[in-house]
Amino acid sequence: MNFTFSDKKISGILTILPGNEVTFEDEMGNYNFSEAKSLKLKVAMGFNKKRIVKEGVTGSDLCLHGLNYLLNNNHLSKDEIDALILVTQSADYIMPPTSNVIQGALGLKHDMICLDINQGCAGYLVGLLQAFMLLDQQAISKVVLLNADVLSPKVSKRDRNSNPLIGDAASITIIERSSTPTTISCSLKMNGQGAFALQIPAGGAKLPNSAETAVLEEDASGNYRSKDHLVMKGDEVFNFVQTEVPPLIEDVFALAKVSKDEIDYFMFHQPNRFMLQKLADKIGVSRDKMPSNIVENFGNSSGVTIPLAITFNLGSEIEKRNFKLCLSGFGVGLTWAAMVTDVGPLGFCKQIDY
Amino acid sequence: MAELLEVDSVNAQDEITSFDAWDSLTSLSIIALVDDEYSVTISAQDILNAKTVEGLYQLIQSKK
Repeated sequence: MNFTFSDKKISGILTILPGNEVTFEDEMGNYNFSEAKSLKLKVAMGFNKKRIVKEGVTGSDLCLHGLNYLLNNNHLSKDEIDALILVTQSADYIMPPTSNVIQGALGLKHDMICLDINQGCAGYLVGLLQAFMLLDQQAISKVVLLNADVLSPKVSKRDRNSNPLIGDAASITIIERSSTPTTISCSLKMNGQGAFALQIPAGGAKLPNSAETAVLEEDASGNYRSKDHLVMKGDEVFNFVQTEVPPLIEDVFALAKVSKDEIDYFMFHQPNRFMLQKLADKIGVSRDKMPSNIVENFGNSSGVTIPLAITFNLGSEIEKRNFKLCLSGFGVGLTWAAMVTDVGPLGFCKQIDY
Repeated sequence: MAELLEVDSVNAQDEITSFDAWDSLTSLSIIALVDDEYSVTISAQDILNAKTVEGLYQLIQSKK
């Protein structure tokens, strides 16, 4: 499915990272594998450091810290926020929506819309789509998009499949109308038949948390996790990405009428370095145009890896000038999306610690 | 294959999961190798079902 938008732009990006850093070696002893095997995994996947929250810190805490930073530094004022979108898979509560909670905590005006969206790896693009659609309304001039994923508490420490890669982070993206003409192109697909390739089985209405769902069980590869924990079918996800993402990139290039060579950077969701570099090779993009340094420095923070790739790799550069970016997110849902858009010069492009 | 399994050479009848180096990373590396070299998509379960190096070869040929 294709989307196009005119005369809208991203005007600022802030990412918020937990100050607490953990290394792969810190946790290696938890896994049921020899040290040699785990170190081989580390090299292949690009694991090193990751940021995870201290116990009790949630996505809304990271978002509020970032919003207060923007308000205090005059990058944003309360009255101009017409819409607050929060994309997360780690909402504070089943009810109410966490975006309403954040609105209340900041004391924002009532004449606005708050929306929670449940999406993960492709959540940055789904959030941007929603923001652009809201900006078609006269009443809405500025949208604040929050992406927050705090999944580290949902991963078993004894699961070598998932624990080494999961990081926590949040991002804040400001989207508004552009006074100069712009065109944004996006292609998106979803396949709910693959919905359980990445999931947290227990904790929702279908299977509430209980003593039984908390029991750790060993899988065929020697990992221990319970039904309360996040579980990934790594081979299915790998094959899904290698099969579905390259043709989607072709689709969005055709829609945007651009060629690969015109793209300055491919800022893609970063599941791990192995998968991303295989994807770059398949699309035929040089690896230096597709940064793959987020997982090794911060961990995979699901929907936040795309804005984090921008703040970490382009930071002050994109505050000065324009870049033509191809963004792509793929994963839980299954959802996969790609977008071609000019970004910059941004009012701010920073990252801060919580 | 020998390189992925960290040995000098492999025989057709060798069981893939019997190598010391075998783990889920080896499995994923074989999936990626088969995709790169033969443009064939296989799953982790396919590799287990194929059992031997010969079985894996037959599987790839049947999916080509």
